[in-house]
Amino acid sequence: MYCRYMTLPESPLGAALRVTGVRLPASDAFRLNEMGIRLGTYAHVTQDAAFGGRVIAVAGSRYALDGRTAALIDVEPVTRLA
Amino acid sequence: MSSCHGSAPAPTLDRSATTTMPDALRVLLVGGPNVGKSTLFNALTGARQHTTNAPGTTVELATGTWRTAGLSESDPATERSIVDLPGSYSLLARSSDEQVTADAVWELARSASEVAGQPGVVVAVLDATALARSLYLLAQVAQTGVPLVVALTMLDLAATATDSPTAGVEPATLAAALEASLGIPVVAVDSRSRADGGMRGLACAVDAVAARPRQVTGIATPEPPCSRGTTATVADVRITNGSTPNGPVSNGAVADIAQDLAHAETLFAWVEQVVEQVNASVATASDIEAHAASGRPLRRTFSDRVDTVLLNPWAGIPVFLAVVWLLFELTTKFAAPLQGLIGQLVNGPLASGVTSLLGLVGLADSWVQGLLVDGLLVGVGTVLTFLPVMAIMFAALGVLEDSGYLARAAFVADRAMRSLGLDGRALLPLIVGFGCNLPALAATRILPQARQRLLTGLLIPLTSCSARLTVYVLLASAFFPDHAGTVIFAMYLTSVMLVLGGGLVLRRTAFRDVRAEPLILVLPPYQRPHLRTLAMSVRLRVGSFVMRAGKIIVVTMCVVWLLMAVPVSGQHTVGDVPVADSLYSSVASGIAPVLAPAGFGNDHAAAALMTGFVAKEVVVGSFAQSYAVAKPADAAHAGSLGEQLRASFDDSSGGHGGAAALAFMVFVLAYTPCVAALAEQRRLFGWRPTASALVAQLATAWALAVMVFQVGSRL
Repeated sequence: MYCRYMTLPESPLGAALRVTGVRLPASDAFRLNEMGIRLGTYAHVTQDAAFGGRVIAVAGSRYALDGRTAALIDVEPVTRLA
Repeated sequence: MSSCHGSAPAPTLDRSATTTMPDALRVLLVGGPNVGKSTLFNALTGARQHTTNAPGTTVELATGTWRTAGLSESDPATERSIVDLPGSYSLLARSSDEQVTADAVWELARSASEVAGQPGVVVAVLDATALARSLYLLAQVAQTGVPLVVALTMLDLAATATDSPTAGVEPATLAAALEASLGIPVVAVDSRSRADGGMRGLACAVDAVAARPRQVTGIATPEPPCSRGTTATVADVRITNGSTPNGPVSNGAVADIAQDLAHAETLFAWVEQVVEQVNASVATASDIEAHAASGRPLRRTFSDRVDTVLLNPWAGIPVFLAVVWLLFELTTKFAAPLQGLIGQLVNGPLASGVTSLLGLVGLADSWVQGLLVDGLLVGVGTVLTFLPVMAIMFAALGVLEDSGYLARAAFVADRAMRSLGLDGRALLPLIVGFGCNLPALAATRILPQARQRLLTGLLIPLTSCSARLTVYVLLASAFFPDHAGTVIFAMYLTSVMLVLGGGLVLRRTAFRDVRAEPLILVLPPYQRPHLRTLAMSVRLRVGSFVMRAGKIIVVTMCVVWLLMAVPVSGQHTVGDVPVADSLYSSVASGIAPVLAPAGFGNDHAAAALMTGFVAKEVVVGSFAQSYAVAKPADAAHAGSLGEQLRASFDDSSGGHGGAAALAFMVFVLAYTPCVAALAEQRRLFGWRPTASALVAQLATAWALAVMVFQVGSRL
């Protein structure tokens, strides 16, 4: 399985991803968890926005993240398993 | 799915069959932002609702009466009081709005443990397109021990979403699967439906749970008060939950993020378990996680395709600016003819009618006529002329909100407002403020946090509304005829700088708690706004403006009339006195020396500024009245008024009339925009912030004007 860690802004549009790390302050990371974005969560980047902002799809919902926040979320690409 | 009447007909408003309960059951609507909570509230209450601020806060709550007609003797008509609480992702509050929701739930839990019988029920509104997120909040609410019913919304969107785990599932099937998993009543509701839409089923479920509460499966609730004591019970829940009823845990009150997270992990696990059970039960084929795990590309939804344009790095900002421009046009050019029409009706036929009636009872030309026609009626007319602007603004915001664009606007404009610690959505009211401050203040309601609303509301009066333009044009044309355009442009530039400077100062002083938080925003799917819901929302908000801000406007107008009607010199009677001999003029004379350091310490300027407190549109007229010359039809061609202005400003400034005029314009820009804006601020934020803002605006205006004059007169 191909595995390379990167941040959300580095992720290609439309690729399937898994959240591997959140480097936000603890209280912000906690709110992110509460909203449904947690370690191991599967996501897709659906939209690039201005100033590095990203829109990601998680479990049917769309989340908009500003560029600075997106850059503090680590992901790994998820490829088709054999 | 829970329904005590099966396919019962839609509830009808049968007033004769409705019994008003002295202690109506209290129902709290709890749910995340954009889950259809307010739409459900509107559907349940109809016109029987009003807005109020949560006690001790500036958080607006909608409360109403939820009435169902009786179908039989065994099913009597019922009234319940219902509160639409602010949308919240969690009971571990991070804003005053979320705190109001958390407090209300905890309060109900406390009442439930202290009072015999059931004081209320929480209706948890779950978004079928985002079950996991909604279930987390449900779990927190369930832990407080309050009686719970679930209203499942957004089923139409969930059924058609291409990547939703519940795509294609029948609403009844999904509700039944959830009910089986949760162990509490789950009612699928369609608040937009003209038919029952599940409302009767929801009413039955709420009444049943109020009589016999049920526990959510898998969620531990506090032990009954009879065995442990009421105080201990609630306190235990606080400790277990890591929260307090009075303070957000994540901000440090009890703050232990690790403990919170550890506790939340158990809830996350419960949520995953419920979602798995539901998915297995409804045999969902298009589970997005399976989709992602297989590495296949995501199937793009309609909203995704629209967002490729509206959130595009290059197109997103122009589209946002176009939307703001449209709002600007709607609240100015589009509203102006309607305002004019209302003004003509009030000042024409209505004033004549009242005058005629007073003549019939022998009160013609008396002070009573003056008070009623020139005070009360002018006040009522002012309120009425603002109605089109407010209705248009509320309707436009409703369309933006219901369609799903408002969340996108927050995302697009986020960077611009970040330095002020504000949500991107704050840019919208601030720009609208350049048209009219009043609808701009009303538009602060789109901001999700009370402190942000207050900060934005304090900055809006610094945006130069179109009413101030008439003053700029008059003075710029009179004093700088060759550079009038440049001077007016400089005033708008000054306004922008004041907003930015004021924002930065406030953030470093009274608003140090407002920080630029990471933007993590759920984007709702685009959908067509629902006209009936929109109309009800506009009616509710306009009604609130009339009842709360309107009273202040009318009273202020009456006070202004009184000042102008009371003679202090000459042989005049009350209500029949020239302005120069009135108390109003006397007060202006008293104020004039205070304005001397700014170069316009004359009675004319002081009187014009006093009149401008009522509305900036009348400053030019006030000057004309004060100099006893005709008001110019075009402020750019001031004629004899311009000559009079130059003479008196030159006189009061020691020959530096130009600098004094600039200082006067800066004063007009920075001080209170109008009494209507002040009343709206009071309605939205309360007396204390409004009074503080009034003093700060006057002090700022005076200081800036003095600075401009002192520097300008030395150049």
